Amino acid sequence: MSAGREHHRLAPLAFLAPAVVVLGVFFAWGFARVAWYSLTDTSAFSGGDFVGADNYRRLLTTGLFVACLINSVAYLAVTPLIAGVALVAAMCVASEVKGSRWLRAVFFLPVVTPTIVAALAWRALYDENDGLLNTALEWFGLGPVGWLSERPWTLISAMLVTLWKGFGFYMLVLLGALLAVPREQREAAALDGASRWGVFRHVVLPSIRPALVLVMVVSAISALKVFDEVFVTIRGAPLEHQTVVPLVYELAFEQGRFGLASAAGCVLFVVVLGLSLLNLWLGRGDGQGRPRGVSGGKAR
Amino acid sequence: MIDRRPPMVWAWWYAVAAVLVCVAVGPAAYLVLASVATRDASGGVSWSFAAYASAWRDGKLGGPLVNSILVTAARAALNVIIAAMAAYPLARMRFRGRDTVFVLLLATMMIPEQVVVVPMFRTVVGLGLFDTLAAVVVPFSVTALGIYLCRQAFAQIPMEMEEAARMDGAGSLRVWWHVMLPLSAPTLSTLALFSVIGAWSDLLWPLIVLQSREHATLPVAISGLMGQFATDARVAYAASVLALVPIVLVLAAAQRFMRSDVLGGAVKG
Repeated sequence: MSAGREHHRLAPLAFLAPAVVVLGVFFAWGFARVAWYSLTDTSAFSGGDFVGADNYRRLLTTGLFVACLINSVAYLAVTPLIAGVALVAAMCVASEVKGSRWLRAVFFLPVVTPTIVAALAWRALYDENDGLLNTALEWFGLGPVGWLSERPWTLISAMLVTLWKGFGFYMLVLLGALLAVPREQREAAALDGASRWGVFRHVVLPSIRPALVLVMVVSAISALKVFDEVFVTIRGAPLEHQTVVPLVYELAFEQGRFGLASAAGCVLFVVVLGLSLLNLWLGRGDGQGRPRGVSGGKAR
Repeated sequence: MIDRRPPMVWAWWYAVAAVLVCVAVGPAAYLVLASVATRDASGGVSWSFAAYASAWRDGKLGGPLVNSILVTAARAALNVIIAAMAAYPLARMRFRGRDTVFVLLLATMMIPEQVVVVPMFRTVVGLGLFDTLAAVVVPFSVTALGIYLCRQAFAQIPMEMEEAARMDGAGSLRVWWHVMLPLSAPTLSTLALFSVIGAWSDLLWPLIVLQSREHATLPVAISGLMGQFATDARVAYAASVLALVPIVLVLAAAQRFMRSDVLGGAVKG
């Protein structure tokens, strides 16, 4: 580090100021305030007497919040699916079949599709009267499924949209890792008599492990924070079919109960934080080349 | 290289790829189809672009389209500029508290926007920005991830490049503009592309801070159409296709910036 001696004393401040102001005001300070609001009865119209843990008590004793929280946790089931589909898609692109360069863009189409557009398209497929899915099920003699009105289908419907919209992005992450596996290593293993599956299991998989873990963690965190897919796909379904963020939206911006909504947000934050810490803790204990959490350490 | 894979393996890959392509393209294709075709009672299919005319005229989508383009462009530009500005001293300058600042900035990644929407909303109202396009842009004009990616890119640039420029009398601003930015163009382009994708799709925040029809972005307008034209879903489908086309064009044009190695940087540390 030899450079950096010649800059003006205030230069770092000037360069950093915009980012520090935006992230500081909206996220750091916002976070401090949300924690405070959650302990008050702040509303859209009046504000804010300290009420202690009342909001939390109310949330945890009413069935609605608990139902939404359980749904949010159940939503995590989309994580292994998304990682699996993303891996298969990445392997298709990396397999060098004809046209595989195009596959990358095609798999990315759902990623760029605005969520509301994706949700509308899926709503059309889910339509309980003449949607494609129920029509197809009918051919097989299977009864109509209440994709948009019945539990647990409502949650599954939203999860499928998340899966559809998300796998292309994670494919890109995994593709980077797959392409970084040295060809010589794979060929050496094959020469030593390893089967196709053996090469995958013992050469490819270990070296893309960090990327795979990143995909799991990032997709799990965004599953907990899901809003758009749930809000639009199963619009009209009762709130207790939905997840925590749509409930926060309802409490804050439809009912004006900022204190209660903030408490719901804080509970969600604790769950997200818990998941992140769990990941760090899991990452510490394993000796297989992933030294410090997800973003730390070298891939190989 | 000579490929020794047996034909069976090729066939398997083609089958898997074909299924995935159908899944990826299917719903969007269905949407386009549903916006122009209707099945009448006798089972025949009639084609009509009436829904587009109706979406454009009655749904008044011209304004939202322009708003979405403005918001998306502003968010992408600011995301790149502000992140690249913050990353420069963090990567290249020595000053007290540098690492602390970096860690604190990264720590904001832990705070989901969904958790802080209420105070964010009040701040926006307090600043007098409620129901303006600026309200959609400002809170998301920089992200911690963007700063992180830029810092990674700047750290790769050889010190000699910067020293040569300094030798020629360039100040920090000129080094940043003439050395750092051009040499990290791939990362900056990727960051811009992902900002565009995110901003174009964003629904929760615009829904909260925008109220009047004239300031609605496309997703907000479409969300409104969903309730309003409940009887004719085709109008909402037509509006959705209108929201889909520009971003697909961006994807087609910017495909080479969709780089997995930049994202990989987040993994490799």
